[in-house]
Amino acid sequence: MSVSAAHNGNVEKRSFNRTSEIGRFAAMVEKELLELLRSFKLLWVPLVFILLGIMQPVSSYFMPIILEQAGNLPEGVIANMPKPQGAEVLAQTLQQFGTLGVLVLALVCMGVVSGERNSGAASLILVKPISLYSYIGSKWTAMLVLTWGSLAAGYLAAWYYTGLLIGSVPFKDIVSSLLIYGLWLTLLVTLTVFFSTMLKSPAGAAFSSIGCIAVFSLLAGIFPKQLGWSPGALSGFAYQAVSASIMKGDYFGWAIVSALAIIAGALAAAVWLLRRSSSVE
Amino acid sequence: MTALIQVKGLTKSFGTVQAVTGIDFTIEEGHCVALLGPNGAGKTTTIRMITGLLKQTSGQMIFHGAEADGNQRQLIGYLPQSPAFYNWMTGLEYVIYAGRLCGMTAVDAKKKAKELMERVGLSHAAKRKIGGYSGGMKQRLGLAQALVHSPKLLVMDEPVSALDPLGRREVLGLLRELKQETTVLFSTHVLHDAEELCDDVIIIRDGGIALQGAISSIREEHRKPIIELQLEEDDQSQRWLSSYIAQMQAAMQRNAESSLIMEAVLNDNIARFTVKEIEAARQSLLEDLTRERVKVRRLEVGYTSLEDLFMKVVTA
Ligand SMILES: Nc1ncnc2c1ncn2[C@@H]1O[C@H](COP(=O)(O)OP(=O)(O)OP(=O)(O)O)[C@@H](O)[C@H]1O
Ligand SMILES: [Mg+2]
Repeated sequence: MSVSAAHNGNVEKRSFNRTSEIGRFAAMVEKELLELLRSFKLLWVPLVFILLGIMQPVSSYFMPIILEQAGNLPEGVIANMPKPQGAEVLAQTLQQFGTLGVLVLALVCMGVVSGERNSGAASLILVKPISLYSYIGSKWTAMLVLTWGSLAAGYLAAWYYTGLLIGSVPFKDIVSSLLIYGLWLTLLVTLTVFFSTMLKSPAGAAFSSIGCIAVFSLLAGIFPKQLGWSPGALSGFAYQAVSASIMKGDYFGWAIVSALAIIAGALAAAVWLLRRSSSVE
Repeated sequence: MTALIQVKGLTKSFGTVQAVTGIDFTIEEGHCVALLGPNGAGKTTTIRMITGLLKQTSGQMIFHGAEADGNQRQLIGYLPQSPAFYNWMTGLEYVIYAGRLCGMTAVDAKKKAKELMERVGLSHAAKRKIGGYSGGMKQRLGLAQALVHSPKLLVMDEPVSALDPLGRREVLGLLRELKQETTVLFSTHVLHDAEELCDDVIIIRDGGIALQGAISSIREEHRKPIIELQLEEDDQSQRWLSSYIAQMQAAMQRNAESSLIMEAVLNDNIARFTVKEIEAARQSLLEDLTRERVKVRRLEVGYTSLEDLFMKVVTA
């Protein structure tokens, strides 16, 4: 150790092989993923999505049989019941992800920043020479890995069982709707990270982000003409992407742009809030 | 000798509460400095501003001649008053992680972390989850993670307050070694710890500096001869003592210059006279005592301790 030598600006560069900011960021992402793994979230969140994904095609497949067993329907109704299309089942799966899936994701990442700050663990980390962008960014990245991994696992499971039981759907439709829906869930997770930085209470963060997402959807649903370009329209576009081709071409581009803008804005705002409250610069 | 950090007019207010009110001090490279003060004096607030965790309301901090801009964090190792870690990590993993956050490669960090865990006496628990550590173990883990990047300045907030006498002695021993290697700033409300370890002391009270300087020179400057007198508890002796003290206090008020005694206090039947000149005062007191046939139990001549000074400064 040669630290006691000189005391000019580059003494710290000499004592160790230093990694760059990227290296520190990587270490932090690694830590976040390890935490998700040790708390089994990396296991059970994908399982919930896979379960949701399997349930939809299976229940659609068995619905007529179940109704028949119940046995109090007039003759011919069952035979005449339109068989659901594969694409329809997958769109319903996405709707399941939009309710239960959103709830699970918000619950999993509601304490991602506030938990560490409340316990005091954050001050030992923030006093290290790291940037706040890395701090927020690493948590966000880990949550995205979890979100996209779970969504992909659940959706692919749904696709497999739909193909098996109901009817095949082209893989490229799956990919495009997965990407669009992934962006929608990314927006949710980003908002949860933001609220987790702003609010002390984890429950408050989950509530606020789910509330935001619901308001976005609602507005885009009520005013499809005026707000078709807003991020709230994304889930609708994802349903369309799997069941038909996307119709409102120019609106679609804007919806993506506006979602990305909100994501970037929420991340920047989270960093700003953290800097203001802890004043690490 | 160069200044590692200069603090000028550092102030922090929380709403209407002035926690720190414009303090100035300098920490020389290689020194061990104690920030000494009673509860609520502003020690934690000052330390958090130095580490960059808290933004000052006004004032400057200059590290190596450059204004603090967040880069000082590279120079500082910090141990908070009650450190909190990730309970799901093992002690060793945490120290490695701390090293990597300071920009060390994974390999370097691991090597240094093992070395430090050994040094703070945690090698037997290195692979255990932090959630199962005791308070003393956490304190030592906190020390290890603060040292991982060989900081130029080790900052600790009450490092031994929460420890039992044994743990306290161990950590103090560790600090005694560490101060040979790096500059140390720590806060405490126990004068004894400061006296045992430090070169310099900064005594703060109500957010302001009450007294600062090298401990040896403070001791010299403020050292005053004192005479302690304790009498038997019979009425006559006690009566004599109170009248003697009253007489001395009157003499002081009449003429502070020529009076032999500068201060006289009676506490728990022990009279303490702070005197100007020890020989004359002793002589005069002994003469009075024999003339009046006072029953002396104990008469002691000595000097004021730092403890006396500290108590006086923080309660004034
Ligand atoms: N976040 C805060 N909001 C309001 N007041 C605060 C805050 N932090 C500290 N204070 C006030 O500032 C003063 C100094 O507090 P500080 O924690 O710095 O004292 P201290 O010297 O560390 O005391 P202790 O020995 O008890 O740790 C106290 O009066 C405290 O009430
Ligand atoms: Mg304190």
